[in-house]
Amino acid sequence: MSELTLIIIRIGFLALLWLFVFIVLYSLRSDLFGPKLTPLQRVAVQSQRSRAEAAAQAAPAAAGDAPTTVTERASAGTASGLARRVVITSGPRTGTEIELPETGLTIGRSSSAGLQIKDDYTSNSHAKIVRWRDEWVVQDLDSTNGTFVDGKRITQSTPVRVGSSVRIGTTTFELRR
Amino acid sequence: MTDRTAPTALQTGIVQLRDVTEAIKVRIRNPAKLRNLELFLLVIAWVLAGGAMVLVQLGALQRVDMMPLQLAGLLGILTLALHIALRIVAREADAIILPVVTVLNGLGIAMIYRIDIAEGATGWDAASMRQIAWTGIALLIAIATIVVIRNHRVLARYRFLAMAVAIILLVLPLVPGLGRTINGATVWIGIGSVLSLQPGELAKIALAIFFAGYLMTARDSLSVVGRKVLGIRFPRVRDLGPILIVWAMCLLVLVFQRDLGTSLLYFGLFLVMIYVATGRRSWMVIGLGLVALGGIAAYFTLGYVQRRIGAWIHAFDQSVYDAQGGSYQIVQGVFGMAHGGLLGTGLGLGRPDITPYANSDYIIPSLGEELGLVGIFAILGLYLILVSRGIRIGFQGPDDFTKLLGVGLAFTIGLQVFIVVGGVTRLIPLTGLTTPFLAAGGSSLLANWLIVALLLRLSDSVRGRGIA
Repeated sequence: MSELTLIIIRIGFLALLWLFVFIVLYSLRSDLFGPKLTPLQRVAVQSQRSRAEAAAQAAPAAAGDAPTTVTERASAGTASGLARRVVITSGPRTGTEIELPETGLTIGRSSSAGLQIKDDYTSNSHAKIVRWRDEWVVQDLDSTNGTFVDGKRITQSTPVRVGSSVRIGTTTFELRR
Repeated sequence: MTDRTAPTALQTGIVQLRDVTEAIKVRIRNPAKLRNLELFLLVIAWVLAGGAMVLVQLGALQRVDMMPLQLAGLLGILTLALHIALRIVAREADAIILPVVTVLNGLGIAMIYRIDIAEGATGWDAASMRQIAWTGIALLIAIATIVVIRNHRVLARYRFLAMAVAIILLVLPLVPGLGRTINGATVWIGIGSVLSLQPGELAKIALAIFFAGYLMTARDSLSVVGRKVLGIRFPRVRDLGPILIVWAMCLLVLVFQRDLGTSLLYFGLFLVMIYVATGRRSWMVIGLGLVALGGIAAYFTLGYVQRRIGAWIHAFDQSVYDAQGGSYQIVQGVFGMAHGGLLGTGLGLGRPDITPYANSDYIIPSLGEELGLVGIFAILGLYLILVSRGIRIGFQGPDDFTKLLGVGLAFTIGLQVFIVVGGVTRLIPLTGLTTPFLAAGGSSLLANWLIVALLLRLSDSVRGRGIA
């Protein structure tokens, strides 16, 4: 084999080595620029958006004074004014949304709590949300650091309206329809 | 009203149904995409590994010998087996790690084979044969790990067992009759005259598991309380216990096993994991202070540390160069890399075998001579990608144990590469650590493939929770 071919193969090997590095970096680009949507996902996002718009148009009739986003469940007319969801608005689990069951919800650090909040300021069994007549009330279960509704520490069962904030430890959540 | 709402409800129902089926489709498609990307990269990796072998033969023998190529094919077959295992038991594992490691392992085998040719070693005397056999064993164990450990969080339960295993592995070389002293360092154990193992390599994994499990439970008391001095919050004296124990352990390794690199590696691992767990700079201050203290003490009391530092600073001094245990090796390595220049002499065309231990401690200068600066930078780039993937997996981890273990395992590889490459390029004093995946040595290969298996398992659980 001639000298020249060997040199070409050698350089080719180094080029392939670098090509490999660049292919790897190219396939990691989503780490740098965020994931690229496939056409299918784009359709899904669009349909979600259009649904939200449709719901917003149907909203004025049902929404009343609550400044929250109204889901199709409410616009379909099945719900009364009662909240059905708990949305965490600040704290480690911001953005989490859980269903508010008819039977109420316990809140605390223990794993058996319906809404588990893990921080140093939350008691094992901290508070609970129960239904009283036609509204939700929050009860503090003798917690160490207290439960706050709209910034005030509560000492007895306090009604929670849709949109008012409840703070436990470093976590704040709201009830939503 | 009912006339208007009924079709709306129907429509939203249909839209919801479509969304659900789309979500399922996406879920089925994405993992396969990852694995297909991995297969594509693996094919390039095999071409690179095989190409390196062929180039070595063309350069050194001027002909192509099929026999070693077929043996090296074992790497290809077993990485394919690992890939298939991932398709079945860890579909959403990281797609980059396996191909990158395959390239490194293949380049290592080719370079070791090249040194064997220069030294005329054949059969089981040839380090490349043993390296291929160890690659096979390591890959089989890695596959077994992936298949057996379905949930890495169970490892957190065995953290104190892991600590015990790590300590036993560390002490083993000191057991009379079992330990072997090679070149002054007592870090090997020998069974008969055939097999010699470096248990410290495996101990680093056990230590990483222990640190992750321990810091998971202790991070609160280590990070929250303490006094503030000069704007940095220092921990309480009684919380210093663990770091002092680890420091003492590393000093014992340094004194009794006379191995500077390993003790640096363990201490660095602990320091980084405690920093990641608590996010407190004071641990870095304390840790680096302890390293400085231990280093100064070692310099004045241990002769071999003094010689190492002398050979580092005065490497080109003729008397140091000629001295027994002097800077001959360092200088030869530097000359080799200089001879390679930008594009290298070409595989099989240089003289890397002049440097002592050209296939293990000095494999980086050997590769630097024959692949040049361009090749070395590609190799360092591959390490960078590997370590960054590991840290990324840790970063995305859903719980503290996963985070700490991912970062810790990735960091051991990064620190080891830094200590070795820094040593041979005279950035820091030379210490005898193996270059992960490249250097000849069974225990190192085994330990690093185990790390790969654990990282793959971690990444699968991270993506499996839909966080990716």
